[in-house]
Amino acid sequence: MSLYMRCKQALLDALKSVYMIAPMLLAVIGLVGLFQVIVTPEMLHSLFNGTPLHDTLVGTAIGGVSVGQPFLSYIIGGELLKGDISLYAVTAFILAWVTLGVIQLPLELTLFGARFTVIRNFLSFIFALIISWATVITLETLL
Amino acid sequence: MSIKKKGKPKNRSGWVMLSITIILYVVIAFLEPSLAISSLNKSLGILKTILPILLIVLLIMALLGTFINSKSIVKHLGEGSGVRGWIISLAGGVLSHGSTYIWYPILSELRNAGAREGLIVAFFYARAIKLPWIPVMIGYFGFTFTLLLSIYILLGAWVQGIIANKIIKKRKF
Repeated sequence: MSLYMRCKQALLDALKSVYMIAPMLLAVIGLVGLFQVIVTPEMLHSLFNGTPLHDTLVGTAIGGVSVGQPFLSYIIGGELLKGDISLYAVTAFILAWVTLGVIQLPLELTLFGARFTVIRNFLSFIFALIISWATVITLETLL
Repeated sequence: MSIKKKGKPKNRSGWVMLSITIILYVVIAFLEPSLAISSLNKSLGILKTILPILLIVLLIMALLGTFINSKSIVKHLGEGSGVRGWIISLAGGVLSHGSTYIWYPILSELRNAGAREGLIVAFFYARAIKLPWIPVMIGYFGFTFTLLLSIYILLGAWVQGIIANKIIKKRKF
């Protein structure tokens, strides 16, 4: 097959793939918009209680259901830190924000299947806890 | 590298999800119109942001489809890809930009073409390092914190990839 034909076929295949995921993509974008308006930073702050383990779990859970540009998690995380929320919780929060995607689960399920999606998200959840603790403990040891 | 879905029933979950989302918006519009309008504006803003990136994704998919066949994917990211596969996967994750969901089609195609499960998992996790936003993170949390977190994310991505390779059932191609 000539390069032109291969290129044309590949472009058609790519367009078909994008067309196939378009409805789910639009749905996810619609839900992301809703979440960004409904879940405010004040609502997030009220869920922490000062216990590092509890706050780390809450941070991971909230980060996992939150959506938006990563810098939003840094801003909210920075504000939470100023409000005496532990660095463990804030680290888990900003990590889960980018690695977990509850709202994107339907799209991931559609393209990768249930087994892959469940295992990947479970690992991301566990590692948000592990990495946040490892980061803060190392930081405290160094400084 | 195109996906051939011979005999596979049509997946309508996207349309179902889109219908549910539209119904949700309609219900909210009746209960609290301002909330629905704000959400819609946010969504349109996101759409406007990701459309150019989606075009780049489309182009990458077409280039992959033209120049890379399943055999080369298996060679670089499949069984026996070794250290090179990990480096490609982790670097790709760090360098990729835009929302995760716009990378799903490419990753799904790579996976269907024979890429190892662990490398896809590692790619996903390495995306936690957002190069363009590193200065913002340093501004809020300091250089040492940002450096440590980035190192642990890369390590975590690699370990998760190894775990995923062991526990996710091997698919037949």
